[in-house]
Amino acid sequence: METDVLIIGGGATGTGIARDLTLRGLNVILIEKSDLNAGASGGNHGLLHSGARYVCSDPEAAIECAAESKILKKNAGHCIEETGGLFVAVRGDKENYIADFPDMCKKFGIPSKKIDPKEARQMEPSLSDETIAVYKVNDASINPFKLSIENMNDAVSMGACYLSHTRIETFKIENKAIVYARVRNQISGKTHKIKAKTYVNAAGAWAGSIAAMAGIHISMIFSKGSLLVTSKRIANRVINRLRKPTDGDILVPGGVVSILGTTSVRINSPDNIYPTVKEVDYIISEGEKMIPELKTCRYIRAYAGVRPLVSMGKGNDRDVSRGFTLLDHEKDQVHNFITITGGKLSTYRLMAEKTSDIVCKKHRVSLECRTKTIPLPSTHSGEWSEPGVLVNDPFKPNTLEDPFLCECEMVPASAIDTVVDSIKNNGGKPDLSSIALRTRVGKGPCQGAFCSMRILSHLYDNGEIMDQSGINDLKYFLNERWKGEQSLLWGQALAQSSLKEMIHCGLFGLELV
Amino acid sequence: MKNKKHITCDITVIGAGFAGMVAAARASALGLKTVQVGNSSQLYFASGLFDFLGVYPLHSRTVLQDPLTGLSLLQKEMPEHPYSKTSLEAILKSFDFLARFLQSTGLNYIKPDKENRSVLTSAGTFKPTCMIPETISKGCLLKNDTNLLLVDFKGLKGFCAGQIADVLKKNYPNILTLSVGVPGGNGNLNPAYFATMFEDSSFLKEIATQISPFSDKVELMGMPAVCGINKSLDALTRLEKMTGLDIFEIPMMPPSIPGLRLKNAFEKKLAENNVHFLSQAKIKSPQFNGSEFILNAVNQNMETQIKSRGVILATGRFQGSGLHAQRGCIKETVFDLPVYQPDKRSLWHHLDFFEKQGHMINTAGVETDNVFRPVDTDGTVVYENLYAIGSILARNDWIRLKSGSGVSALSAFTAVNDFYKKNAAGDIDVSD
Repeated sequence: METDVLIIGGGATGTGIARDLTLRGLNVILIEKSDLNAGASGGNHGLLHSGARYVCSDPEAAIECAAESKILKKNAGHCIEETGGLFVAVRGDKENYIADFPDMCKKFGIPSKKIDPKEARQMEPSLSDETIAVYKVNDASINPFKLSIENMNDAVSMGACYLSHTRIETFKIENKAIVYARVRNQISGKTHKIKAKTYVNAAGAWAGSIAAMAGIHISMIFSKGSLLVTSKRIANRVINRLRKPTDGDILVPGGVVSILGTTSVRINSPDNIYPTVKEVDYIISEGEKMIPELKTCRYIRAYAGVRPLVSMGKGNDRDVSRGFTLLDHEKDQVHNFITITGGKLSTYRLMAEKTSDIVCKKHRVSLECRTKTIPLPSTHSGEWSEPGVLVNDPFKPNTLEDPFLCECEMVPASAIDTVVDSIKNNGGKPDLSSIALRTRVGKGPCQGAFCSMRILSHLYDNGEIMDQSGINDLKYFLNERWKGEQSLLWGQALAQSSLKEMIHCGLFGLELV
Repeated sequence: MKNKKHITCDITVIGAGFAGMVAAARASALGLKTVQVGNSSQLYFASGLFDFLGVYPLHSRTVLQDPLTGLSLLQKEMPEHPYSKTSLEAILKSFDFLARFLQSTGLNYIKPDKENRSVLTSAGTFKPTCMIPETISKGCLLKNDTNLLLVDFKGLKGFCAGQIADVLKKNYPNILTLSVGVPGGNGNLNPAYFATMFEDSSFLKEIATQISPFSDKVELMGMPAVCGINKSLDALTRLEKMTGLDIFEIPMMPPSIPGLRLKNAFEKKLAENNVHFLSQAKIKSPQFNGSEFILNAVNQNMETQIKSRGVILATGRFQGSGLHAQRGCIKETVFDLPVYQPDKRSLWHHLDFFEKQGHMINTAGVETDNVFRPVDTDGTVVYENLYAIGSILARNDWIRLKSGSGVSALSAFTAVNDFYKKNAAGDIDVSD
């Protein structure tokens, strides 16, 4: 395969770059080692920052967030719910931070408005009666899955190519440039060459290991952040704690649920990360100070993402700028290789723009970035979602012809079929995990106990699977769901998880096969 | 104001799951005046297969051919396990009692064999178990070269004949599949309702017509376990006659029809045995006055005060709500009995769902003496006449050991016998 630009990484940044470059007329191939948003782009709050969170700690990031949030609300409105946000201080929170906050917001041009705590509790009844200060800001919730798939869809509609489950094996480097990349399809195991003029490393937390394949060292720090999904939406707005950014201080509404986070735990590798019991308990104990209901509410799932931070020396991980790192490896003697990492979801478009600017310079393309002005189109296949994202699929009733296969989240067979088609059209294999990534299947209270088998049977029925691989698919899917729930199993959730074990181990004996 | 009723009885069984049903069956069979209080029966979730011991030791991850070898090793290595509190003879007697009881209701079970039986499930896997409904039993005739027909029904979710065939075809190459259209239905079948249709002759005939073209090509047929509810064996036998095939049922995920058959069979026979059943009721603030328990059974419109000499606690685990897990610890919900449990929540579960040793939380539960009376941390019996039976018992990871029904039947049988011996029987031998 040959192309102008090979982008490595299918997160918000990579897909954003794909769209940006195709809008400027370049040919693009994007490869992703698993599937869209498998890394930090899928493992975050889904918060579109107004910038207010960073006014005291990172003014530059605050200004970027404010500007980008405006652009995205205008151009990608269908991926955003304009919830508005509150910054809330409770008794015991530091007085001087509370006092400085409005001035800092003003200083950096971030709109904020003081609200009487009483009034705030009418707006958001779940707020603690210990609330002492509240400011209203322009935070919003954004659906990161929808965002990435829409960016990718738009790029593909203009000629870009998306290869999922495709990983870099090697770079062939000659005369200070990458000649081609050898890539391997993770499903078929087959390898092939992709020859590009420029290679963009947008692999997020894995950027260091991709760069290393080109002989370049990037000193990465991995900071794990864990998040909890509640079973229902607890507040209508984004609720931030009015204090220096730390753990367990943001609750973001995402469609029918709320997402509470995060933590910041230094880890050695970005692979196989899951929230621990200790993190879960800590997040809840912090969150309940703002919103007491968080102590007793039901949680559906916990997940974690890794912030890829590039080491700049000392300091704790929260003090490292959440700004992005853009490296033109010309200085490292590889002329056609660029790395973009770090940053945050809210500024993904800006990161894509800056990266694309360098690419275009290398390609002598003089067109300016157009993602600032051209709205992101809304497509049909963009209607899929992970936990906490907006559910805006039109509701379909449970009918004889089209029964719900996932009863908790009311996903009918026809929705599964649509998703299966779209996975196959993109060269992927329709298994439970890829279907779950694109629907609300398995996200409800039963956490896949029933729908997993129903959908698997449906796949067999339609000839999508024709050998015993369905059993392994089922086990993998259940185990992935499990990893997200095992740290928060108590009360009703524990009862439901025992039912799952009863069915899949007790009856089917899957632990023995 | 709610109505308040008063009842006095010999023994109260709290719980209407499998263990509670066996206890009520045994108690009423011994002539004890029995009250049973049920919140919601977990039998809807029961496979209807009675396990004895399917896997031991857990880390071996292999199915026990001969449960008795496993049992003697378990009794040696796990002295606190419910099976270690008694003898093999008692276990076999409890199964025997169970089989006879169910036979008297018309629900036939095949008695234990020396070896575990291997039952084909709707996932295409085989489950090791001990005592099985007769409607499932012909599945044991399946050999690698059997010409087998697997049948599913259009609209019955979660059961696909092609799936089972695809999973099995490596070792069982001669499988044909058939998707049967359901007269009058074209999509979403409710299993409980669907199962009742099999008791209708004209329905059976229509099904048989679709199957008959295969009669010459195969010798055995498997179908989802939905062939009738109260007359399942009769329905299956008629379908066999109409098609000329040996037929077996394949258990599938809940709602479980074999579980529902059990529930109906128990309920009917226990009513005949004059067991007083308080449905959808919960026990609130139980007391002991020195000689009797005073239990308030509360449901939506009635409160019943039960004075009872003995109590059998068969409330199940988290799913049945006999145990409740708070974020930090596990509690027993009726008597607040001490619960054996891991030290902290981070030990409850492994990161791997299928971890071979099982999850430690599944060993949590109520610890008892040798006749299943709950004991304090120092080993003293909490109440002379309070027994805990079934899945609430500690140190029995029943899902992984495949020991659920065995432990339930044994503990129910032993506990009721002990109570009877001490309180009613005098010198009569109640062991049979």
